[in-house]
Amino acid sequence: MIEAYHLSKVYSRGVYALRDLTLKIEKGEFLFLTGPSGAGKSTLLRLLLCAETPSEGQLKVGGRVLTDLSTSEMQAYRRTVGFVFQDFRLIPRFTVFQNVAFVMRVLGVDVPTQQRKTYQVLKWVGLQHRMNAYPEELSGGEQQRVAIARALVNDPHLILADEPTGNLDPDLALDIMNLFRDINARGTTVLVATHDREMIRRVGRKALTLEHGRLAGGA
Amino acid sequence: MHLLRYTLDEAAMSLWRGRRSSLLSTATIAIALFVTGAFLVVTSNLERLAQEWSGAAEMSVYLADQVTGTDRASIERTLRAAPVVLDVQFVSKEQALGRFRQTFPDLAGTLGSLDENPLPASLEVRLQSSADAQQGIDALVSSVRTMSGVSDVRYDKEWLDRLLRGLRVLRVVGFSLAGALILAAALTIGNVVRLALNARHDEIEIMHLVGAPTTYVRGPFVMEGALHGGLGALVALVALAATYALLRTPFLVPLASALNLSTVRFLPAPVALSLLAGGLGVGALAGVIASRRA
Ligand SMILES: Nc1ncnc2c1ncn2[C@@H]1O[C@H](COP(=O)(O)OP(=O)(O)OP(=O)(O)O)[C@@H](O)[C@H]1O
Ligand SMILES: [Mg+2]
Repeated sequence: MIEAYHLSKVYSRGVYALRDLTLKIEKGEFLFLTGPSGAGKSTLLRLLLCAETPSEGQLKVGGRVLTDLSTSEMQAYRRTVGFVFQDFRLIPRFTVFQNVAFVMRVLGVDVPTQQRKTYQVLKWVGLQHRMNAYPEELSGGEQQRVAIARALVNDPHLILADEPTGNLDPDLALDIMNLFRDINARGTTVLVATHDREMIRRVGRKALTLEHGRLAGGA
Repeated sequence: MHLLRYTLDEAAMSLWRGRRSSLLSTATIAIALFVTGAFLVVTSNLERLAQEWSGAAEMSVYLADQVTGTDRASIERTLRAAPVVLDVQFVSKEQALGRFRQTFPDLAGTLGSLDENPLPASLEVRLQSSADAQQGIDALVSSVRTMSGVSDVRYDKEWLDRLLRGLRVLRVVGFSLAGALILAAALTIGNVVRLALNARHDEIEIMHLVGAPTTYVRGPFVMEGALHGGLGALVALVALAATYALLRTPFLVPLASALNLSTVRFLPAPVALSLLAGGLGVGALAGVIASRRA
């Protein structure tokens, strides 16, 4: 599903966020990405979303080199990825419902289907009663769960979640992880970046550890 | 199809949220198109006037009140002898007054109160309108003008030439002015759209990140521009029609008949529709340019 070859990312000031990273993630895997702050976790996820371009090396998803995609192919690819941003990235003028339903709306999904699926994912994250609230009316944890619902609503092939439980209490965090596990059980590849080693232990899945942009060996 | 729905929904919402600044850009395009439309009404009517005048090439020979029978007969003979003349008709002072009363019923009262009929008798001459006839007509006009018993000669072709020259000037002036105003309006719309775009910078980035197609990201802004333009055009057309309706009876109709124009007309439907389409188009173009980096 995901293949990286000698992947490096250098930001403008000569900082290596990723350095010569080679890895392979199979389809249907559930994998944690961990490591200290600044290790390059978000960078790897952003590269996988085509939100950044690699400085060196190559990144393939589903057998296709991401940098070779045309603009419209890249857009279509992004719509198959459910991305949970570390900073949520909700649209402030949209309600919870509109935020979650946005991609379906853009894809021309009929309104009853939009409503059904949006209600379903909001129920999964326990926010069906806040459907008509605006992001600013929600707590950090609630906003995070809306971001998760948005990532799940379009039946993505790949879920990339950047600290998806950073603002949640441990019980709710575990609920969300169980949700990811259920979705993973249906064949979706899941990659979750987190520092929370305790949670990784509780969920009991493989973790890749990044340090200074390099792989520090599996756990 | 749902792209259209989506962009319309989003654009209408944005328009409503920014209705203060929308008012400004809608007003500028309305003013620009009002001026354009007004010039079109005036020039199209003057064009018809020119057409009617050139179709009926006519010369009027006004007779002095104290003209003698022999003078009148010799004038008529000269006219009939000229090869460019098709027909000569005598209009007496009384007939002239009757015509005047018909055309200007409001003014007829003031004339009636005069002791004497101030209108002259005339000979109305229909002329060949071919280009070859022009020299003969010019010679005839100058020779008749000096005959005794003739007070004045009015030849429409001279007026027609002046009219056509005036029309050309009016067109150049009118359309340069309209063009400048439309450009200004387009810039205003572009700025309003750009403001809306900047205000939604984060949102646009999020749309890109969730894989929204470019048309969905930019479409609402293009549509917003088009709505500004279309709305402005609509306002301009309504204002133009209202102005026309107000001026028609007291001012335009008498003016037209004084000029021998059969009727005054408002903009024909296709032209009105093109103004509307023009408004939409200018607005959409401004939207496209303003959102090209979104
Ligand atoms: N846009 C950017 N411009 C310059 N440097 C950046 C940028 N984004 C990240 N970096 C740098 O790249 C390195 C990796 O950042 P990244 O965000 O990938 O870390 P992370 O593992 O996600 O950290 P955290 O756990 O704190 O989220 C850091 O040193 C960071 O300062
Ligand atoms: Mg990070």
